[in-house]
Amino acid sequence: MSRLVLKFETATLKEVPLGTRPVTIGRAPDNDIQIDNLAVSNYHARVYVEAGSLVVEDLNSLNGSFLNDIRVERAMLKDGDAILIGKHEILVDQANDATHSLDALRKAPVPRVNETMILDTHERRKLLDAAVAAGERSQLSPERFRIPTLIVSRGNTDQKEYRIASKLTVIGKSKMATVRLRGWFTPEVAAQINKHEDGYYLGRGHRLPKINGVSINGLTKLNDGDVIDVGRVRLSFLYRD
Amino acid sequence: MRPLLHIEIGARTDLGRVRKNNEDCYLIDSSLQLFVLSDGMGGEAHGEVASNLAVQTVLTHCRQGENSRATPIFGETRPDVSERTNRLASAIHLANRKVFETAASNPEQRGMGATIVAAWIDAQRLSLAHVGDSRVYLLRAGSMDQLTADHSLVAEKVRVGILTPQEADASELQSVLTRAVGTNGSVQVDTDEQVLLVGDFLLLCSDGLTRMVTDPEIASTLLTSSTAQESADRLIDLANENGGVDNVTVVVLRVIEKSTGIFERFKIWKRYSG
Repeated sequence: MSRLVLKFETATLKEVPLGTRPVTIGRAPDNDIQIDNLAVSNYHARVYVEAGSLVVEDLNSLNGSFLNDIRVERAMLKDGDAILIGKHEILVDQANDATHSLDALRKAPVPRVNETMILDTHERRKLLDAAVAAGERSQLSPERFRIPTLIVSRGNTDQKEYRIASKLTVIGKSKMATVRLRGWFTPEVAAQINKHEDGYYLGRGHRLPKINGVSINGLTKLNDGDVIDVGRVRLSFLYRD
Repeated sequence: MRPLLHIEIGARTDLGRVRKNNEDCYLIDSSLQLFVLSDGMGGEAHGEVASNLAVQTVLTHCRQGENSRATPIFGETRPDVSERTNRLASAIHLANRKVFETAASNPEQRGMGATIVAAWIDAQRLSLAHVGDSRVYLLRAGSMDQLTADHSLVAEKVRVGILTPQEADASELQSVLTRAVGTNGSVQVDTDEQVLLVGDFLLLCSDGLTRMVTDPEIASTLLTSSTAQESADRLIDLANENGGVDNVTVVVLRVIEKSTGIFERFKIWKRYSG
């Protein structure tokens, strides 16, 4: 027998078996699946059986219903599909369904996305909400409010400490360099540090730098406390308050 | 006198094997060392209109910025990057407005948009600005890095940890963008800066290349070709051999040498005094 599984993040909240009667989803208490959340309309959507297939139908809800991230008004469902309503997911589980094999042959019309499409701002916001709800890092990481600093522990540099304020930080003898190195055999650009959305990345210049004793392989993210070796210069990368 | 980098350029755009028209577009201003590439979207060949308008707008605005410092900056001014990079971002903001307004005034062009990547070289500094999922790669000392972050649904999911890179590659939703030029009144432009070294390769490309050709194949093509144009031609051929499912466009730049000889000083003098 098919069922719908209501989930929030990784927690399973409720399971509803699918019989012949449609299953209603919404904020009002008389729904089969009640989701008590302001993002959910009173009568948000319903799932019913039509000609042997499961169908989800949005009931003109304010924020919409999403099938595998595509906003839908009405769509056929197959085993494993996820319906997103507000921040809650409703999974379609047909694993024990006797007629499952027949359903598998019937291809659900997943929206064809061969052409390039743009995700509208609502969906983008939803995606970011999902990221926050999933407890993902970076955008909210406290590192944002700390200042990235390089502290020289060895080598011939013009300063002992450098605050990283730019997108591009050059380490070398070049006039462009923030960390100005001295010495006859010092290259113009020994190494460079790039600021990306999710942190600071060390890249090679004329020298191949090491992080904590290991030579880097392409642009490598720097973590708080990493020790950088560029030629004979040694720097510590720190986030300071 | 700032040393000018000598850049060898190769570029090519191709319809691919499946599409009926080419909505990709690129423009190069070799004296400014400015390179722009755009992949249009929108049915009925409106993608072509969007990508062409985007690329033209960026080029024109950057040229204007060079001629007159009083040219306004569109979008916010970023303190952590150079004037050139700010100008590049400003150009994309302006392109966004132009495409958006054009689409708004022609009902059949509604929803048209484009990706854009722009690279501008100033002495040894590379300024980059982009919106969308067209990419810029840097190949240095045998190691290739993607410099731009894709503004696509699957890439954003990978960044927040909802999808693995492998799942993203297999996803049916790969061409869904989270940002584009012209689809919204305002757009968020990503910028980046790099120092360029002699021996570096830069590759600007539309997703028609990267959907069909793997990164290692791209890197080895760049490293084994004798000129930038040969690289460009071979990359297009590879994309087509592997299916050519979309339009494909590449701009290959090879940093050959620094020149501060008499002739180069004359060229610089001419450029800044003319």
